[in-house]
Formats: sequence, C-alpha cells, structure tokens
Amino acid sequence: MHYTFTIERGNFADAGQASSNVKRTLKQLGVDPASIKRAVVALFEAEINAVAHAYGGTIDVDIDAEKVMMVVADEGPGIPNLELAMQEGWSTASPQVREMGYGAGMGLPNIKKNTDELKIDTKVGVGTTVTMIVKLV
Amino acid sequence: MPTGEIYFKHSLRVNDYLCQGCTTCMRTCPTAAIRIRGGKAVIADNKCVDCGECMKACPHKAIYIKQDDFGLIENYRYRVCLVPTAFIGQFDTKYKTKAIYSCLLKLGFTHIYEVEHEVARMMELYNMYMEDHPEIRTFISPYCPAVTRLIQVRFPSLVDNIIHVRAPLELASRVITQKLIDEGARRESIGVFYVTPCAAKIAAVKYPVSGKPTCVTGVINMDFLYNKVMLMLHDSDRNAQPINHTLNSRDVQWSLSGGEAPHFKGAHYAVDGLQNVLNFLEKLEDETVDAPGLVEMRICDQGCVGGVLTTQDRFVARKRLEYRAQLFERLERSKLRETPPEDLTLTPQWIKDMEIAEIKPRSIYKLNDNYAEAFKMAEQMKKIEKALPGVNCSACGAPSCAALAEDIVRGDAKMDTCIFINQNSDSSRDATKRIWGDRITAKNNKKEQ
Ligand SMILES: Nc1ncnc2c1ncn2[C@@H]1O[C@H](COP(=O)(O)OP(=O)(O)OP(=O)(O)O)[C@@H](O)[C@H]1O
Ligand code: SF4
Ligand code: SF4
Ligand SMILES: [Mg+2]
Repeated sequence: MHYTFTIERGNFADAGQASSNVKRTLKQLGVDPASIKRAVVALFEAEINAVAHAYGGTIDVDIDAEKVMMVVADEGPGIPNLELAMQEGWSTASPQVREMGYGAGMGLPNIKKNTDELKIDTKVGVGTTVTMIVKLV
Repeated sequence: MPTGEIYFKHSLRVNDYLCQGCTTCMRTCPTAAIRIRGGKAVIADNKCVDCGECMKACPHKAIYIKQDDFGLIENYRYRVCLVPTAFIGQFDTKYKTKAIYSCLLKLGFTHIYEVEHEVARMMELYNMYMEDHPEIRTFISPYCPAVTRLIQVRFPSLVDNIIHVRAPLELASRVITQKLIDEGARRESIGVFYVTPCAAKIAAVKYPVSGKPTCVTGVINMDFLYNKVMLMLHDSDRNAQPINHTLNSRDVQWSLSGGEAPHFKGAHYAVDGLQNVLNFLEKLEDETVDAPGLVEMRICDQGCVGGVLTTQDRFVARKRLEYRAQLFERLERSKLRETPPEDLTLTPQWIKDMEIAEIKPRSIYKLNDNYAEAFKMAEQMKKIEKALPGVNCSACGAPSCAALAEDIVRGDAKMDTCIFINQNSDSSRDATKRIWGDRITAKNNKKEQ
C-alpha cells in the first residue's frame, strides 16, 4: 500500500497527518502497538525536521507484508555535518522553532532509535532525503 | 453484525418503537459502534464504550439505560444507598444535604454512604500503583470507566498507562459492607445500591474490566432517584433526620473535572469532554505531547455532573457543589463543623480486591487476526473508500463512507448499499450531480463495471 503526502514549510500546526494515516492502516493490520509507535514517532520527527529546517517536501509511505518504508524528502539547506546532527542535543533550531517546543536536538537520535534501518542522503544547498524502515514481523 | 466472542456488555438500549432511524446517534458515536438496520439504530457490543454520547444526542429519546428494579431493595434488611456527590449537585443549595438524605431514608434505604469517603484511600491505591511502576511516565486515572474502554478499543497501546485499580464505588461498597458486618449485620442481609450518573459506571459494576465479582448489589439511575426525591423535598426540611454527612470540603468536589488534583502531589492534568479526551489520547499515543504525571480524564464535560443521567445543567451543578464545599470549609474554619478525619485504613483484602490484573487491548480497527488477510482487506478497503463519494451522508446505514468501506470488506454490507452508486435512472443521476457535482456518478460507476 502506498501513500503520498506533501509537507509545507513552517506549518507545524498541520504536521502529523501522514503519521495519523500510517497509524490508522497499521492498526487495521493488527500490527503490535510497539511497532506502530516506533513507525509513527520516527515519521513525525522526520516530518517536523522538514517543516522546521527545510523548505517543505514530500512523504512517501509503503506498507507491505514485512515492513513499513517511509521516505521524507525535502528541498532545503541540507545537513553539513551529519555525524554532528545525529548526536543527542545538537541543534541549529531557530528561536522561533524553539518557541514551538522543538529544537532539543533529539529528533534524529530518536529516529535512529525507533527504526530498523535508516539512511540519510543529504546535500548542502539541495536537500535531504531520510529513508526509514520499521519491520513489522 | 459480526459474530464471535462478546466481551463488552451494556445497559444502554434502543427503544425500537421510539427510534426513527434518524442517524443522529450514529454520527456522534466516537467508536462508530452504531449502524441503522431495519430502520432502527443497532449498537455493536464490542465497539460501544458506554460514553453516553448517543443518548445525549438522540432527539427522540429513543436510547435509554436499563436499571435495576427499585423494588429489589426490599429484599435486604440493610439497604445502603451509595451516592456520589454529583447527586447532591442536582439539588438547589437551598436544600440541606441532610434534607436530601432524609428523603432517601424515607424512600426505604436504611443507610447512606457517600462514594467520596473513599477519596483518600483511592489516592493511596493510586500512589501505591504509581510507585510500583516507575517505568511509566504518564499515568491515566481509572476514574471514568468510559475512558478505560475507549482506550481499550481505540488506543490499545495506552492500556498500560491506566492505573490498574478498580472503580471507587467498588471500594466504597466493600468498606460500608464491612462496617455493617462489624456492627453485627449478616453479609446476606446487606444490599448496596449505587446511584449512577451514567452508563459507564453501570458497565463497571456489571461487566467490569477486572473480570472480578462486584460488591454492589444493584444500580439506580440518578434521574429516576432525583424525581422521587424532588417530589418529597418540600416538606422534608422540617422533619429531616439527623444524618452525618462527613465529607470534607475537598472530597465533595472529587467527581468534578480537576477534582483529583488537590489530592495528588505530582504534575496533574485534567481533561474533560469527549472531544478533548480523544485529542489528548491521540497525542499521548503519538508522543506528540509529553505529560509526565497523572492525567485525569472524564468523558463528560465538567466531569460526572455532566453525566447522561444527570438532570441539571452541568455548570450549575458544578457551582452548587463548589458552593457546598465552600460552606463546609467556612463551617470547619469557624469550628462549627468538625473536619472529618481522613481514614486511610486499607485491609490486605481490599487492596487485593481493588487490583486489576490486566486491561486487555480490544482494538476495533484490526481487520483480521491473520496479517496477510488483514493486509488484503486494508488494500481493498482503501480502494473502496476511493470509489465511494465521500459525502458521509449515512443513507447506507453507516456513519461515514470510511465506515461503509470497512463494513464491506468485513462482509457486513455491499457496495450497492451506497445510494450514489446504486442509481438507475438518468434523472436521479442528474439530480445528484446538480447537488454534489462530479463525484461518484452512475456514469463513472458504469465505467468501473
Ligand atoms: N531536513 C533537514 N534539513 C536540514 N537540516 C536538518 C534536517 N533535519 C535535521 N537537520 C539538522 O540537524 C539538527 C539535528 O536534528 P534533530 O532532529 O536531531 O534536532 P532538532 O530538530 O534541532 O530538535 P528536535 O528534533 O529535538 O526538536 C537540526 O538542528 C538541523 O540543524
Ligand atoms: S454509548 Fe458511546 S460508544 Fe456506545 S454506542 Fe453510544 S455513542 Fe457509541
Ligand atoms: S465522566 Fe463521570 S459521568 Fe461521565 S462517563 Fe465518566 S464516570 Fe460517567
Ligand atoms: Mg528534529
């Protein structure tokens, strides 16, 4: 099953629609709550990053018999030092983003923790594509 | 309707004679438990959480709550009326609590016991549970049984956040029963009757999540008792019998939203009203909100004073309880009334009786126990949903197009129950098009066939 969503820059309020949809389908499939939570949390963090740090983008979700694959691709500044970005607590979030309650530098580490496979392709000045896989069985 | 094991039972009923099949209830139900069949509303047992929304919404008063025969109390020598303060909130503050209780005695009860006597003990049980589970960040109060059921069916991943302790009325009935036994009564001669503000509390008594036996003998609907007492009240003030209502000012307000807060030391959140509860649970589940501490949730706006069996405006009832609490406080301060001592006795038996071993997840979303089968059904459902018009007109007897799609893949309905799809004259197709534009028309339906 395939789902596509678009991400709007700076629209924190409406973020989460993709994770809600994924959650609904995974619940229908009877996937165990822990795996659902992992997928939903990871997807939401990646979406928020695209909203907060980039200029919007797209989300593609594929659910099959073994796994859910989620690809969040944005056009944006890219991540200059990925190793640094993956560290807990490291953040370049603007004061505005912090006011929204984000910017603790926990998003990427949280994604890492909640996914079975994670790939981040990023190019400075072009954009970032985060590919996440959560195994369901 | 689906067959199989029925694990939820209810006291909520549809009166087929009054029901017009108007779909109002069906559209308000938070778990999509209602369908129209044969022109009447039908409730699916395993989906209903006893929130009472459908009953509140019904314009024809066709949904009701079955109660125990009042005459049942005559079978007992000791007849205890177990009242929550929400009942007192039904009455104008010009009536003394004493006068109201006097009427209850005249109606045949021999003892009156307020559920709120158990506040301190219940809080102790909560705290014990919370200390035993340091790994849980957000605890959900077990106070409102409809919330517990809602979590089971819609947010199964949160069942372990609920404090696994049974309803306060269970403790109250045990405490008063023990007290009467200590005073010489025989167990079989004691009947404890709970005055309920809602269907959820009845379900908690009759079909408890814990699966353990109840200590409550029967349940009386609050609106029924209100009418009876109101009829007697005008002359009972004069010959009121002296009854000690010994609640302290704090406990009087326990059933109101926010009522658990003053009893709890840590961070505390009070969420009331169905929509707010749903939103909050959704966020908790997605971890988009971080709420360390205790979350108190009441399905009813303002708490139990908003229960479906109450008779008074919930804001007025709330104010009345607050007023009574303030009065108690003033009297206590000026030493005109003794502050009731807090009784924290908890026997090992009570602690054991109040435990819930497991709150089972009962997802209403799961399409099939077999993953591969569920996967096929989900795919099919997505396709069907796309083919349906998406206007949620309910003419098919389901609350929404999505619900019909689900019914179809479950084999409970057919595609042609959709009146948009099932049109066989050009004029009706044209009429539909004038109103709804180019959604599903019989034309693109034909293309599909
Ligand atoms: N899609 C993205 N485009 C550009 N930079 C990004 C993107 N995602 C993450 N980053 C960079 O990586 C840093 C760390 O990201 P991470 O999600 O871990 O923390 P955060 O978003 O700053 O805060 P939090 O996720 O805790 O709210 C960000 O501050 C940002 O500099
Ligand atoms: S009580 Fe609530 S859950 Fe049950 S049928 Fe009515 S609205 Fe639905
Ligand atoms: S808030 Fe109170 S009255 Fe309303 S459903 Fe829950 S327990 Fe019943
Ligand atoms: Mg982030």
